This record gives sequence, structure tokens and C-alpha cells, in this order.
Amino acid sequence: MKMKLFAATAVLALGLAACGGETPAPETPAPEAPVAEAPAPEPAPVATASIGETPADPVAFMKTRHDNYEDLGKNFKVMLDNSKLGTPDMAAVSAAAVKVNEYAGQMGTWFPPGTGPEAGKTKAKANVWTERADFDAKLADLQTEAAKLVTATSTDAAAFKAQFGATGGKCKACHDVYREEDKDK
Amino acid sequence: MTDDTVASTSRAPTPKQKVWDAPVRLVHWMLVFLVAFSWWTAEEGEMQWHYWSGLTIVGLLVFRVYWGFAGPETARFSRFVKGPGAILSYTAKLLKPDYRATFGHNPLGALSVIAILLALIAQVGFGLFASDTDGLESGPLSPYVSYEVSQDAGDLHEEAFNILLILIGLHIAAIVFYLVAKRINLIGPMITGSRKAEGLDGPRSGIAPVPAWRFLLGVAIAVATVFLIVWLPTTR
Repeated sequence: MKMKLFAATAVLALGLAACGGETPAPETPAPEAPVAEAPAPEPAPVATASIGETPADPVAFMKTRHDNYEDLGKNFKVMLDNSKLGTPDMAAVSAAAVKVNEYAGQMGTWFPPGTGPEAGKTKAKANVWTERADFDAKLADLQTEAAKLVTATSTDAAAFKAQFGATGGKCKACHDVYREEDKDK
Repeated sequence: MTDDTVASTSRAPTPKQKVWDAPVRLVHWMLVFLVAFSWWTAEEGEMQWHYWSGLTIVGLLVFRVYWGFAGPETARFSRFVKGPGAILSYTAKLLKPDYRATFGHNPLGALSVIAILLALIAQVGFGLFASDTDGLESGPLSPYVSYEVSQDAGDLHEEAFNILLILIGLHIAAIVFYLVAKRINLIGPMITGSRKAEGLDGPRSGIAPVPAWRFLLGVAIAVATVFLIVWLPTTR
């Protein structure tokens, strides 16, 4: 448990160091496109930036990414809560599924070069960038299942409950490999 | 081994004093197992097992609190929870060579019992409302609270476990202290229920039996509580 505190402190320190303008560590993963080194012209950090460009303000970009994932979690909880009911609120579930599908569609643009652990506080592991092909394949799986979830939620409760687990499984498949564990392992 | 029927071969059988009844011992050892199991399942992400392990602990805690009012002498809170005066005078006695082990929980150990019970109650309480960041796994009562609250409950569920670990550490340290410094084995009686009765504190015969219906009522209350926790959220 102490390890966890230690890790949290380390992550925080890393974040602060990044905020303090420390140069990125030399093990920065090679950018997808060599031209991406120059700061992007867009003033605001938008999660829909093109996949290869390092955002002008990586820390703000990463914050937006974090917020998006949190909202994704929020939408999943709506579905999770409803999945436990005999008669789920299908309107709420449908809206959440549409939102999840929307996020899944954007997610490929959420990890441009220069927004990994070297840039600031994030749970995204460096292999998101070094194993990008596999990452994208897993994301494609999620997009397939998320689209099915939208269909299922407009079908009936049973279809929703079945597809909810399948979609969640795709989230987990990626988290298991590309997201930092929250615990002291 | 522990039965009175197993008499020693050459001498007269040592008189035994019954200290802990079966329900107290069973709850104790099931908690030992399930706290360890809950820890392991949480670390391994085996959340379905974690869910049922936690709910079983809820049932055990409900029963133990009930038993603290309805159980035999040594199980009752009113019998072993003491004020600061009694704790201090006990501590003074503890350090003397002619110390005699208390019949049931001693006043100092009672603090440990209460602290561990409260920590466990807090632990399962947070767990019932918790959910993970992904909204993929959650405690049975999580549908009653918002995403944010369930996140906080989850964080507290994780943090409070450290307190529980510290209390368990103290508990084990105390047992080792009695074993090594006082030559008193507290583990045996918690397994067998009895200890040698010579020169000990408390009635020679030990605890009096409790009517079976009281035990069954406690089990029913515990099972009903767990059932309600699982079933109620499905009827919102």
C-alpha cells in the first residue's frame, strides 16, 4: 500500500516536472510523422486534432483526454446501473450508448505523439505509442462493439444487457495492456 | 483433540474452561479467510468473487454485531467493552508476573475488537457503493449514488483497507506478545474454544450455552440483510 502512495507521489512529481518545463525524456517514442515535432498551429487543445500532431499544449490536451475518459466512465455507469434492473431505463441507456460510440469514434485522435507519460501526468503507458498498430486494432474492436451497443440499446433490454458486457470487455482488453495499473503491483 | 472425551493417558483429564462459542470462532476464522480472499481478488481483478466475498463479510458482520447482544457472555459487548480506567488498571496488571489471562476479551483487547469491527464495517460500507473508473464493475448499492460519489467510495474503499491492515497487524503483534512474553497461547482457544481451567479468571465451567433459536435468528437476520442489499437495487 505504501508502494501506491510512493507511485502516486512519483506520478505527481513527474507531472510537476513536466509543468516546470523540463525537457521531455530522451526515450520519447518516435513520432508517427516526422513533421509533427513543430507545435501545432491550433491555439486550443482539441481532442479531435489529427492523429500525428503533437498538440500545442500537451498538458491541457491530456487533461481533456482524461475528462473525456471520465465522462465515458460516467456513461458506462449509467448503463451498468441499468443493467442490474429488471426493466432498464432504455432511453437513458440509449443516450449513454450513443455517447460511448461517439467517444470510441474519436479515440484514435486522442493519443498524438508527445502526450504520453513523458509529457505529464497520465495513466497511458508508453506502449500506446510504441505498439500503435495493436492499440489501433484493439480500438477498432471497441468501435465495432460500441456500434453494436447502440443498435442493441434501441432493440430491447435483453440485447442491451448482452452487448453491454461485450463492449465493456473491449474497454478492458485495452486497459489491461495500455493503462497504468491503479494499484501497487 | 479438543473433545473432553480425549482424556490424557496417565493423569486425570485437565479441566477445560470453554471461552469462545462456535459462532464467535467461526465468524473470526471466516473473516480471516474472507479478508485475505477479498484482498487477493481485488488485486487480481476477480471482481465477481470480490463482490460475493464482500457480501459474505457483510453477513458475518451483521451476525457478529447481533451476537454482541444476543450471544454468550464472552461475545457480548456489554461484558467486554470497558472504560479508560479499566483499560489502564488492566495494562498495569498485564506487566506483573502473576498476571492471569482474562476470561474472554480483556479491556485492552476489547479496543482491538471494536476497532477491527468498525474498520470492517467502514470497509464493506464503502465497497457497497463503490464503482471503478470505467463504470464496468460496482458494488451492489452503487446504482443509488452518482458516478462521482461511487468513485469517492471506491477510493475510500481502497484507502481504508490500509487502516484495516494496520489494525490486523496490531492484533497479530498482541497475540505474539502474549505468546512470547506472557507464555499465553491465545490462538488455541480461538480454534478449539477452550483453554486449561487451572488458576484462571472467570467461571470454571466457562460460558453457558445459548439457545439455538437465538443463533438461528442471527443467521436469518444476516442472510436477510445480504439478500436485501442484492435484491433492492434491482427494483428501483
